[in-house]
Amino acid sequence: MSLVNYATREITCKIVYYGPGRSGKTTNLHYIYGQVPDDRKGRMVSLATQTDRTLFFDFLPLDLGSISGFTTKFQLYTVPGQVYYQATRKLVLQGADGVVFVADSQARQLGENIESFQDLHANLAEQGIDARTVPLVLQYNKQDLPRDLILTTAELSDAINFRGVPEFPADALHGPGVFETLRSIAEVVLKRLSAGTSAGVVAGARG
Amino acid sequence: MSPFTSMLESLTRQRGVRASLIVSENDGLIVDSNLRFGQDGDRIAALAASMYRKARLSAGAARLGAVSFLQLDAERGRICAVGGRSDLVIVVVADPAANVGLIRVELFRALESLE
Amino acid sequence: MNIATVEPWVEAPLRRFVDDARARLALLLHPSGQVIAQAGFTREVDVMSACALAAASHATAGELGRRVDGHAFRSLHYAGPDRQLFLSPVETARGAYICLTVFNAESSLGLVRIYFEELCNDLAAAAPPLPAIRQPTIAADFELDLNRNLAALFGRHHP
Repeated sequence: MSLVNYATREITCKIVYYGPGRSGKTTNLHYIYGQVPDDRKGRMVSLATQTDRTLFFDFLPLDLGSISGFTTKFQLYTVPGQVYYQATRKLVLQGADGVVFVADSQARQLGENIESFQDLHANLAEQGIDARTVPLVLQYNKQDLPRDLILTTAELSDAINFRGVPEFPADALHGPGVFETLRSIAEVVLKRLSAGTSAGVVAGARG
Repeated sequence: MSPFTSMLESLTRQRGVRASLIVSENDGLIVDSNLRFGQDGDRIAALAASMYRKARLSAGAARLGAVSFLQLDAERGRICAVGGRSDLVIVVVADPAANVGLIRVELFRALESLE
Repeated sequence: MNIATVEPWVEAPLRRFVDDARARLALLLHPSGQVIAQAGFTREVDVMSACALAAASHATAGELGRRVDGHAFRSLHYAGPDRQLFLSPVETARGAYICLTVFNAESSLGLVRIYFEELCNDLAAAAPPLPAIRQPTIAADFELDLNRNLAALFGRHHP
């Protein structure tokens, strides 16, 4: 849930990158970390296995600068994608203000994408959250792979974007689509805040 | 029942003794205790352990050697404590009129059995 | 020790706790990992990482407890060679928070625990109720600022 401090005019939001194993969630964060100036990011925390599979989460704090007079900070998290980390995915998802679903564009991964997307909705429901109210952006990663190995953006959209949310093709390893995805989720989350409809906003007010 | 139960009971049987505890000096946690109803053993343990530790460090800094016996006199009672080679400290809470000499003897006896 | 708070009513209870318990560092955070107050940290970026990890540890302990016997574990204690860590939830009228305390040989687990209980009581007493009316947080035309800032964030290296 967004933290808003009216006294110091600061907003902090939590964005979770979700998706099946090896779809590129951590790669997104690594790319962002590599591009952002030092004074606008915190240290990246990666709780991973020895083979660099996310074990618990990756975490990257970003300073988005001043937006409408509020210093805006985004905390980016990834979840572990492998199926047996279900319990830890639930924990990381708690309190998320927005979700980026990173799908693996490889044709053979379609089943995993759908299963992970369903898992996301199930976890939100378990927290008593209507998934339709959660800001969501879809990223179709690995669009740089050979054409015969991947599904097109349109095919992926047909398969999982039944809500008609913003969607972006991407190549997170080299960068295309990463920035666009982040901008889009930031826009959706902040739009929700500006409408005053974000549930659970904690307001710090000084008398 | 713990290995310390009878020792603590023996201490608490002394006239004027309200409570006896064995506490960990490092953690300030109760290892075992003999308390009356309503006594806050956790608080006594934490603060007594902290006090004993400070006394031990002070004695060390002043090159006085090990602390043999610690006694805190207050308006409505006193706290006595002894510690040995281990991390354990034996603490007694007593009335103002309690016989400190006897308590001291019993504490040393208890410490001997502990070590 | 410097204390920085998002919620001003937290400052006095936290300061009292840090002084009484002789803590080296303290964090009060929301279970989602957002910082509410901190004491002793010198870099804001370290605070955010510590909050994320503390929230994760707390959530993990709770879930582990539920899996073991159906009841969430509440407090955690980690002991290191020089420092120790105590992590425990705090209930207030503003909701549940988590308190992370780091201490060394100047204090002890027992001391931290007894003063933590007092902190819980102080926070419960000090917490004002949630405001009834939620105001819109930012202007409806925030996109200009957002795009400008994101471009600045990525502009130099964006492919």
